Amino acid sequence: MKTKQEYLIRYKDGNLYCELADIWIDPSKPVKKALITHAHFDHFTFGCEEYISTKETAILLKQRVGDNIKIKTFEYGEEFKINGINISFHPSGHILGSSQIRFIFAEEKWLISGDFKLQKDQTCKKYEIVKTDYLVSECTFGLPIFKWDESNKIANDISKWITNSPDKTSLLFCYSLGKAQRLLNEISQTNFKGNIYSHGSIHKMNNSYRELGIDIKDTIKIENKKKIDELKGSLVLLPPSLSKGSYLKNFKNLQTAFASGWMSIRALRKRSGYDKGFAISDHADWDGILEVVKKSEAKNVFFHHGDSEALSKYLVEKESINVLLFSE
Amino acid sequence: MSLKKFSELFSDLDSFNSTNNKIEVLKNYFLSNDPIDNSWAIYLLTGKSNKRFISGRYLKNLFSQIYEYPQWLIDTCYLKVGDSAEVITLLLKNKTNSKKKKLSNISLNELLSEKIPALSKLNEEEKNLEIKNLWETLPEDNHLIFNKILTGTFRVGVSIGLITKSISKLINIEEEIISHRLMGDFKPSIDSYKFLINKNINLQELNSKPFPFLLANTIEDKIFKNSINDFQFEWKYDGIRMQLIKRSGNISLWTRGQELVNESFPELVEKMSHIKDDFVLDGELLVWNFKEQIAFDFSLLQKRINRKSPTRSIQIKYPIIFIAYDLLEINGKDIREIKLKSRRIELEKFFLKWQNKTENNISDIFKICDLIYPKDWPDALAYKEKSRENNTEGLIIKKKTSIYSSGRKKGIWWKCKVDPMQLDAVLIYAKGGSGRRAGLYTDYSFALWKDQELIKFASAYSGLTNIEIKELDKWIRKNTIEKFGPVRSLKPEMVFEISFEKIQISKRHKSGIAVRFPRITKWRKDKKIIDADSLENAYELMKKIS
Repeated sequence: MKTKQEYLIRYKDGNLYCELADIWIDPSKPVKKALITHAHFDHFTFGCEEYISTKETAILLKQRVGDNIKIKTFEYGEEFKINGINISFHPSGHILGSSQIRFIFAEEKWLISGDFKLQKDQTCKKYEIVKTDYLVSECTFGLPIFKWDESNKIANDISKWITNSPDKTSLLFCYSLGKAQRLLNEISQTNFKGNIYSHGSIHKMNNSYRELGIDIKDTIKIENKKKIDELKGSLVLLPPSLSKGSYLKNFKNLQTAFASGWMSIRALRKRSGYDKGFAISDHADWDGILEVVKKSEAKNVFFHHGDSEALSKYLVEKESINVLLFSE
Repeated sequence: MSLKKFSELFSDLDSFNSTNNKIEVLKNYFLSNDPIDNSWAIYLLTGKSNKRFISGRYLKNLFSQIYEYPQWLIDTCYLKVGDSAEVITLLLKNKTNSKKKKLSNISLNELLSEKIPALSKLNEEEKNLEIKNLWETLPEDNHLIFNKILTGTFRVGVSIGLITKSISKLINIEEEIISHRLMGDFKPSIDSYKFLINKNINLQELNSKPFPFLLANTIEDKIFKNSINDFQFEWKYDGIRMQLIKRSGNISLWTRGQELVNESFPELVEKMSHIKDDFVLDGELLVWNFKEQIAFDFSLLQKRINRKSPTRSIQIKYPIIFIAYDLLEINGKDIREIKLKSRRIELEKFFLKWQNKTENNISDIFKICDLIYPKDWPDALAYKEKSRENNTEGLIIKKKTSIYSSGRKKGIWWKCKVDPMQLDAVLIYAKGGSGRRAGLYTDYSFALWKDQELIKFASAYSGLTNIEIKELDKWIRKNTIEKFGPVRSLKPEMVFEISFEKIQISKRHKSGIAVRFPRITKWRKDKKIIDADSLENAYELMKKIS
């Protein structure tokens, strides 16, 4: 058994760190060198000296951090070396550009899963099974109560939700990067043919997706003070941060919904304050995590992001997989 | 037609926040389904189906056994979800992809009148097999309803008033009539639904049913501008509100929860049947201290409520009384439309007549409520303060010119409750909530000082706002000393003002006291734990009151 200092990758100051290469993965504080799995706000920070990511992530990142960052990009599967460690990005199916990161050093393989999902998503590359010795996996939804429905079923539910209330403006809250574009893609394949509006933050990301060659339905950028009649029967995509507060006063006769994996639990749905919840997630469900753990053939697994107690116990008891704990 | 439709209705009612939406959804459901399913839907939605076929624990064990699923994993999931029926529903999504032919067209009626009742005739092994079979053949989106009905936990955010409104809109008949038809025993059948939506109103068929209860509102300041003489004052008893009905010689005793409880109080039914007149009385049932002429504590009444056919010795040990507030109907004549002051005169007149003319003595089980005559509003409030002395909760104030309408009508009746007692206590334990509060620590235990030690004295879970609950939940997770299953012991740091209704000696509790209806009334962030009250303060409070 190795001590924690001997692991190629470990936890330091609350972040994943590879000491041999002096490189951080998705650090939450400014560092010299940062590998970025994807462009969600909780996976990067401003002010790093150098960022390394996939090409798509780099473009989305620049949208958010600004153009004058130093960023090196690599294709999926392209290997590069830092201090003798072979590193490569592989699709993780979470959002456009999202990746798992593989490290190979002295014949030992490590895989950082990043955020991932196995479900269908036409707006990004499908999750790639990568074999490894050590797996560091997220487990946001690490309980068997999480079992996602097919995304086209959810899209049809959303379509029905809008068309059943033709007199209302339907506000659908979702993360502006990734979830919004996936929803747009799915909804455009349903029976709902009405207007779709999106908030500036979402509109911007839609454009970036289009520039990167992803076919996203055109939406109308929502301006303040839209005429109420104009919005009747339409869908408006908004970021969750606008769900509380005065922004909603811009709309009359509305119904609200939130698209998130947490909405599969009734108590959370009721407490969220939205009229309706659609359980659609860009993270893996329980079966998804188990599948990745098994197919990666990892002998040792670490979990982060989420409550991993139950998942770990289950893997140890039922699958005899060695689950390790990160400690500082 | 199908159970699927009812599942959709459930999900719609669950998600719409607006009353109008709910009424619309209900109306459409009733319009598009057959009478028998509609009657079952009403039965479920009005909460008349609280029969538990199996317990939540049983359901979880069964799932664990059938699918070889670790019990601890189900329990962990339960902590997140807070409802056994829902946990199993979510877990079943992983398990029922079998190729079995689905009962996609099963009706609500079939499930409730055949499949589920049939379960109770089977032995345990057969029963388990049948539940497994139903899980695997019912379409997935019906599982939640099925599991909830099985465990007797079907509940949805719809009041009887809302059902009443939607049926009333459906057939264009006043809500009062529908409300009357929905009262009491509703047995699901084609006939009961047809009766409900019958456009012809037949008074005869409504014979044994109680009138909708008129409820009191919390007192408003503007009432003090009126003359005290415009109002009738009564004590607010802490018993069970009931209507005592005698029509065509038959007595029926209805609670406000629309239960017919003749069987629980046979001595009252027997005595009252000797009265010659027919009547409908609105009043309160209490366990009565005949020596001191005051009510016993509600806890004694609880010994009678759920006991059908009580023995003679129980009847003697817990003697009951019906105190009438109001006369609503006399010898077939509905007098709810005449003014309260005239109804009161009628009530007193008939009470005297019955006392004198009835063969058996009825005064040992039936009386009319005494009125209070405060000379002005300050005097009325002084009466209110005295209400603890006679074991009442305060005053009921009724407008003398009011008619007896239904529901919580504004500006007719008010309740004026005596102020609660309060102590500042320290939060020492927290437990995960269930239902809507699943995944949050929302059940709290509070302690008072005894010398240098904090002794638990009450548990409470209501009174905080959602924002406060979230804030406190975060604090709890950071300040846990120890976990015992779902309970956490906490660093003593937070002080809360706890209000309660009653305080008495209790040998069962370590603190030596028990309080009734404890609830959180303020998060005293301004106080340190050293400022919290001691058990001695609690004893003093008790002395002051008795």
